[in-house]
Amino acid sequence: MDFANNLALGFSVALTPFNLLMAVAGVVIGILIGALPGVGPPSGVALLLPLTFGMSPTSGIIMLAALYAGTMYGGTITSVLINTPGESASVVTCLDGHQMALQGRAGPALGIAAIGSFIAGTAGVVLLMLVSPALARWSLSFGPPETFALMLLGLTTVTLLTGDNPVKGYISMVFGLMLAMVGFDIISGDARYAWGIPEMMDGIDFLPVAIGLFGLGEVLAGAEETKGQPFPKGRFGLRQLMPTATDWMRSRWAIVRGTLLGFGVGTLPGAGPTIATFMSYALEKKVSKHPQEFGHGAIEGVAGPESANNAAATGAMVPMLTLGIPGSATTAIMLGGLMMWGLRPGPLLFEKNPEFVWGLIASQYIANVMLLVLSTAFIPLFVRALRVPYAVLMPIIIIFCITGAYSLKNSVWDVGQMLVFGVLGYAMKKLGYSPAALVLALVLGPLAERALRQSLIISDAGLGIFFMRPIAAVLTVAALLAVLVPVVGALRAALRRRDSANRAAG
Amino acid sequence: MRRADVVAGASLLALAVAFSAGALTHYSYWGPNGPGPAFLPFWLGLTMALLAALLLAGALRSREPGDPWLPRGEGLKRLAVVLGATVALVALLNVVGMVLGTALFLIVLVRFLDRTPWPLTLAVAIGTSGINFLVFTRWLKVPMPVNALGF
Repeated sequence: MDFANNLALGFSVALTPFNLLMAVAGVVIGILIGALPGVGPPSGVALLLPLTFGMSPTSGIIMLAALYAGTMYGGTITSVLINTPGESASVVTCLDGHQMALQGRAGPALGIAAIGSFIAGTAGVVLLMLVSPALARWSLSFGPPETFALMLLGLTTVTLLTGDNPVKGYISMVFGLMLAMVGFDIISGDARYAWGIPEMMDGIDFLPVAIGLFGLGEVLAGAEETKGQPFPKGRFGLRQLMPTATDWMRSRWAIVRGTLLGFGVGTLPGAGPTIATFMSYALEKKVSKHPQEFGHGAIEGVAGPESANNAAATGAMVPMLTLGIPGSATTAIMLGGLMMWGLRPGPLLFEKNPEFVWGLIASQYIANVMLLVLSTAFIPLFVRALRVPYAVLMPIIIIFCITGAYSLKNSVWDVGQMLVFGVLGYAMKKLGYSPAALVLALVLGPLAERALRQSLIISDAGLGIFFMRPIAAVLTVAALLAVLVPVVGALRAALRRRDSANRAAG
Repeated sequence: MRRADVVAGASLLALAVAFSAGALTHYSYWGPNGPGPAFLPFWLGLTMALLAALLLAGALRSREPGDPWLPRGEGLKRLAVVLGATVALVALLNVVGMVLGTALFLIVLVRFLDRTPWPLTLAVAIGTSGINFLVFTRWLKVPMPVNALGF
């Protein structure tokens, strides 16, 4: 492995003034986005993607990846201080983090979270660096059947893991696939479901949809809140943040476990930082010598999940870069961005665009250091930022949504699309559907269809091809299991309910 | 929520059937090069129809109405105003232009939500509108929607 040379190339790219600026900007904006409720990592990436059109793809991905890392910490600030998770990967941190704050120990909670995030993030990048080239080369052996099976697995596992109701999850996914069918079909030349409208013939772009679902949709969900806005009190200088020696002793292994668990979970298509945090918390509680402390200010309950989410965010980029399979809504949008920039993930990316890949990897090392600095020395700034009233923030976010959607093609039509999906996103959130599954399906749909059609041409219309080739077979079976497991589970639950109802009645 | 599920289930079922039927009538299922443009849409429609039927059946069979999903009272009013203002801005974007539209939108909403004092309201409106203008002209270098007066 030519790591030394590649890393040298990477750092030469990452250390240019502009790219350094993009990394800092990404981390700062990411922390803010993570902290502010109503905007999460998917919205952040979707809203900032249009801003990257004027710069090189490498600079763009450097900023967006730094942003992703930043959001994993940003949510921690509000979780600890005001018991409000800024985004879903920091929900678990509320449990013990806020308890620690109530005990006057908010500083060490934030401090250990920052340290854990740094260690996990950096270790994650090392693992990313070691694992990706090999994985990309392995995927060279992938033909259309393997590609389709992998995409199917990615889609079904995201659906499985987001939301409680599998039927609604699959409805979201299939709806996304149906949307992906609109527009020009390259193979036949037909314009599907376009009804003569030129904008429809171009198909439905994922970006206005993503901005609408995650950006506008979340703002609308927040708009109905009438309660006052809480804000944190207290001093958060550097000295207040230092964890004690005991804290450190208790947290060390939690950080290690969180890192390994998080990275592993993050690389799985469909599983992302949020799930990693829940698993880490459960694991820490299980191996702890004093599990009764959990929920009352156990620092491992903060250190583990906070490390897990940063490691998972880095891990999630592995399948995105090497296989083109995003593991979450955020990486799905990043993948959409890659495609917009004209880059195809996989082995070709590593070969044809080494400065992109290695620039990104080198920049992630730098971004993690910046995250550590910003998340410790500059916490007072971010806490002050939380004082901005929602009444000011929400309309500004809406303006960003409109600007972002418009800038894609100078088209008010796209803004209208964004608006429609904003309303849809609001409804989906309230009714229990999964916007992540929809976006993932919309991004992967065209690619999956092409792989499917190519497979069927090779196999002469037989579906057996997906089961006869070994890799494809494993992936296909896994995807089918992902579909069947919740169905079987729901059936058994329904039967149990009927049995207990019968027993109660008779 | 149960009513919403029933409506969603029925509408999705209808949509799915139309989707599949439309695919088969307008495009070819199988071509000389393998699956045609109607192939995947047809099967997707069928899958959606199945899922929608499951949703509908589950919702019809359930006895409880479930939680209300739309807000009431003050919350509903806030939602309506925010949504209404957004729709108005988008609809009139080419009429009032981005700069003026942004400023008006912000003045109306920032003031309405939480009775923000006028100085802050105006500062936010003018500041954001200005930044937006700069983003378009300096950063993105993309033409903005403008009104008859040119801004």
